[in-house]
Amino acid sequence: MSDTAGFINMEQVSVGYGSSTVVSDMSFRVRRGEIVALIGENGSGKSTLLKSITKEIPLLGGSIRIDGRDISRLSAHDIARIMAIVMTGAVRTDYFTCYDTVASGRYPYTGRLGKLREEDRQKIDEAMRLTGTVELADRYITDISDGQRQLVMLARAIAQEPMLLILDEPTNFLDIRHKMLFANTVKELALSKNVTVLMSIHELELVRDMADRVIALKDGKIDSDGPVKDILTDEYVKQLFRLGIYPR
Amino acid sequence: MKKRRIIAYIILTLSIVFLAVLSVMLGTASPDDPSFFIIIKSIRLPRMLAALILGGALAVSGYLLQVFFGNPIAGPFVLGISSGAKLVTALALILLLDRGIHLSAIGLVLASFTGAGIATVTILMISRRTRRMSVLVLAGVMLGYICSSLTDFVITFADDHNIVNLHNWSMGSFSGMNMQGVMMAAALVVTGVFGGVLLIKPIGAYLTGEEYARSVGVDIRVFRFRLILVSSLLSATVTAFAGPISFVGVAVPHLMRRLFRTSLPGCMIPACFLGGAAFCLFSDLIARLAFAPTELSISAVTAIFGAPVVIMVLMGRGQHYE
Repeated sequence: MSDTAGFINMEQVSVGYGSSTVVSDMSFRVRRGEIVALIGENGSGKSTLLKSITKEIPLLGGSIRIDGRDISRLSAHDIARIMAIVMTGAVRTDYFTCYDTVASGRYPYTGRLGKLREEDRQKIDEAMRLTGTVELADRYITDISDGQRQLVMLARAIAQEPMLLILDEPTNFLDIRHKMLFANTVKELALSKNVTVLMSIHELELVRDMADRVIALKDGKIDSDGPVKDILTDEYVKQLFRLGIYPR
Repeated sequence: MKKRRIIAYIILTLSIVFLAVLSVMLGTASPDDPSFFIIIKSIRLPRMLAALILGGALAVSGYLLQVFFGNPIAGPFVLGISSGAKLVTALALILLLDRGIHLSAIGLVLASFTGAGIATVTILMISRRTRRMSVLVLAGVMLGYICSSLTDFVITFADDHNIVNLHNWSMGSFSGMNMQGVMMAAALVVTGVFGGVLLIKPIGAYLTGEEYARSVGVDIRVFRFRLILVSSLLSATVTAFAGPISFVGVAVPHLMRRLFRTSLPGCMIPACFLGGAAFCLFSDLIARLAFAPTELSISAVTAIFGAPVVIMVLMGRGQHYE
């Protein structure tokens, strides 16, 4: 790591759509291997912030450096070798197996026609082992449960060999068992492969279970930032999510 | 799985060989006829090759459109792209013939490509306003109707001597092809299919969704542009040489997915080509022979077999896409 300050360095980042700014003047740093949860109400800027890191939407101001490199200067191919994503949305392609889905994570490493080499197959098998999805390999992605599907999408992200894993509300709609399986796999990944995890998430129980640190967002700004036990107090959660205050 | 695919490829290839032989051998002229070999060489062989090459192209074009729209009932005919190509080609033919200029094969393809391009841009603009598969398809069918009506209007006012050929062509037909046309069509189709093969890798990633594809390094804008370019080239080539042919582009990719039990582009592009070739050879045989010597339009036959597949998709998995 060329920048000792952090693996991810966000400096005065502003992001938005067109002329409207959703996230403004935001700065924070994340260490390598750290699991950071972004929490906040819907519309607080969590997903927008993550989209700016994946370069899905351009910055309106500021800079983002990952592993010492300014991401605005990195190609899509370079970005793909640094970070992988898991989101809520489902893959809807018919006759597309879980193995095919995980194999798509090898895209940055395969040749012109995307033919898998022995090394790619090993990485795919390893990712499926780590997520407990080996038995789903030949099943179609449209024929499995939401929970199984998200584990397959996590395997796809792991097969991409990222240094940074971006999770955008990945456990929405999952049952408790699959939420826990997902969380445990992410924790193991961060620990064993030193992968940094930045996630937007609503389930505070999962945040307590898997995150090292919480960044709470409110109206596109950082409201608080610190270790999970310091931030997620009952009182602060009530205040952040305005619990007990319902507009008529 | 692999064994199933090999067997499916062998079955398709053997079907094509069988249908190709039937296409050349069957007809009203018998081997005793002194002109039999001339008929085979200058009429039946080019026609058989046209059905094979253009049928394959149409199915590959349909598959690429389905990838583009993430929609299993997208196809050049259903989305009005073939009819757009037909309209501009008919306009170009008539306007130039009126001035005594004969449009070359390349000119035909260019006119057809322009029409396909205009229709594609129109349908793209509609697709931005709706994510619903059925609405998009309905809009495409309406676009097709508009283009077909305008074509009929144009043909009605064309000179008498232009009408006969134009009328046949605008209904869709592999008749009237010569070897020179076949060679030209083959060159364009090979170029298009090769372009499709070069897209195998990003298509595989795109099948997981646009955001996931972007996250593995696919430049979505460039990819989508190439996809629509290749698809338009293939469907425009078919329309230029054989007119609009219905439902092949929708039905064949669906049937191939079911036969091969995969959506992977490395398998689907060759499978669609072979499937489209077999489907069109079979349909053309029926069009020629069912009521010989009267010929049916090829679209009348492909619709009978292809339209039920579209209904099947809409009733089944299509509901997931609403």
